[in-house]
Amino acid sequence: MGDAVASVGRQGTDFALIGHQESWRAAAEVIAVLRGPERTPLPDDEIKDILPWIPPRTICHVEVASITGANARGLYIDSFIPPDRLDPDYLHENIARVRSAATYAIKAGAKIVSLGGFSSILLEGNFDQLPERHETVFTTGNTLTVGFIVQGIQRMCALEGRSIRRSTLLIVGATGDVGSGCARCLAPVVKRVLLAARNLERLRRFKAELKADGVQVEIATNLQQFSEEADIVICAASLAAPSLLLSRIATDAIVCDAGYPKNLSPTAEMPGAKIFFGGLGQITGGLRFAPDFRGILNRHPFPNVVHGCLLEGMALALEGRFEPFSRGRGFITPQRVEEIEAIAARHGIYLAPLYNAEGPVEDELHCQTEWSRG
Amino acid sequence: MEPVVSLKRPPIECTSLSPNAPIWQDVLAQAMTGELIAAMNYTSLSEICDDPEEVADALEHAEGEQGHAAAFAAEGRKMGVDVAHNVEALHWKRLREAFLRCIRERDFIGCLIVQEIMLESFAVASYSRVGKVAPGSLGKTFAAIAAEEEEHVAHAMAILREERARNPQRFDAKVYGLHLEVMTTLAKMLAKECKDGHCEVCHESCVKPSLAEVSLSAAELRGASLQQYMRTLDMLGIPGEVTLVWVTQLPV
Repeated sequence: MGDAVASVGRQGTDFALIGHQESWRAAAEVIAVLRGPERTPLPDDEIKDILPWIPPRTICHVEVASITGANARGLYIDSFIPPDRLDPDYLHENIARVRSAATYAIKAGAKIVSLGGFSSILLEGNFDQLPERHETVFTTGNTLTVGFIVQGIQRMCALEGRSIRRSTLLIVGATGDVGSGCARCLAPVVKRVLLAARNLERLRRFKAELKADGVQVEIATNLQQFSEEADIVICAASLAAPSLLLSRIATDAIVCDAGYPKNLSPTAEMPGAKIFFGGLGQITGGLRFAPDFRGILNRHPFPNVVHGCLLEGMALALEGRFEPFSRGRGFITPQRVEEIEAIAARHGIYLAPLYNAEGPVEDELHCQTEWSRG
Repeated sequence: MEPVVSLKRPPIECTSLSPNAPIWQDVLAQAMTGELIAAMNYTSLSEICDDPEEVADALEHAEGEQGHAAAFAAEGRKMGVDVAHNVEALHWKRLREAFLRCIRERDFIGCLIVQEIMLESFAVASYSRVGKVAPGSLGKTFAAIAAEEEEHVAHAMAILREERARNPQRFDAKVYGLHLEVMTTLAKMLAKECKDGHCEVCHESCVKPSLAEVSLSAAELRGASLQQYMRTLDMLGIPGEVTLVWVTQLPV
């Protein structure tokens, strides 16, 4: 009857993580854990029929330990947004789900709530949709995500012996909160910046902001329109499914896929590109799920790896700083990124070892670069 | 068994059958059987109530459910079909037996959990869905009865919440025990295919594969019912993470 889990819940809730699964395979694994090992897993068609009807709720308790000895307790609340309903047709339905999940977090007494993946939409311009929240604060977690993306690019450049200063950086989804944050952090250290997004007006405004700081910047709504090839690419677009086909990039470009769901189409052919999944951090102090969702809620080839957006809430909870650190869209600055990276590092939360769909891209033993130490 | 409701049949008013009439006939038959079971349950409940007010309340509910059954029968007549009912049918009989077990144990709270939380969740959710797609007065009748059933639930919730406040652990264990019996039967009833054979309510073959023709589906009715059930359990204060496990463990 879940008594053990319920008793953990009575010990207090420092943080809540609101998430959703990015694929039906991931959703099926979550349901399989809930059903228990003694029951046969449900067929895929049944999962697809049932999941859309499940109201948002806690699926497990999370305990995170800091290297300082502190620890924080929280909840993982799944909004149960069906993985194939992330497109704009379902916007209102999905906002309602995230809102309901947020209400759930508030009722659970969470002091800080991180909004993972699509859920961050509630803080990126839909403040009025947030439920009345008393003592609970919300963060999108995007600032730490940006920090880990930027650290990942720097580490990959170091591993590949590339000079960031001589590179042309392309950001897909450049006017989003994560994309614009990455641009602000990396623009001062690259040769040239190419910004791609769907909204031309927003692109123009952002170009003007960066140009005022002396950045060489080009904008386009279509990747074919850029005048030169990029050799570093950050994919940070809000896509309903992995469907991005990159064009006009260097054959050996470094490509960071930081989307959730992933941006890059599985059919994208980039044999020479150095691809890695970005925005991920690793907890070195300890991470525990009850029930045990290890490797299911965090499906990564390394232990205790979690998306930066969720880690931000955990880091702030460990720090005892219950504040809406990331809120709105387009406010992420290099200074704020440094600040949250420092908080995370203080608690042993560092950039995760880099990997892609084929596995680790570096020898784990050699991962401890200056970037991973923060 | 003595009939719980007298369904005196005036002559059928409709002269031509719509192509979907046989589908609605089966939908109405399931709904009418459910209402008759509910009427029988409330009548049984009145027999274990000590408080005269509770007795009157239960009998009033029984009468209300009989009225719903009669309304469904009337909708069938408007359409030109005879709506059958079978309280002895495979699944419905099991649901009735679960309720009667609570009666034998003079377990008033158990009775409320079975009828108001489990069976009514199913009724409210499925009637609401049918109410949205059924044409004309048929849709209005389903929607109106869904609203009335929801009022029942609200009435029982206050009693059940008070009971849970006394001893949450014992209360949740009781709900779980009844869930295993009643919700397992309901889940089988609501499965996309009837794996236990004919349900003994549909007038010919199973109506489920034909529901798409009236913009319904068995999966949708099951999903909506289980969602309503989880929300009702939330309102009782049972932790959502616990009820999620209960529901995901049901048969499909």
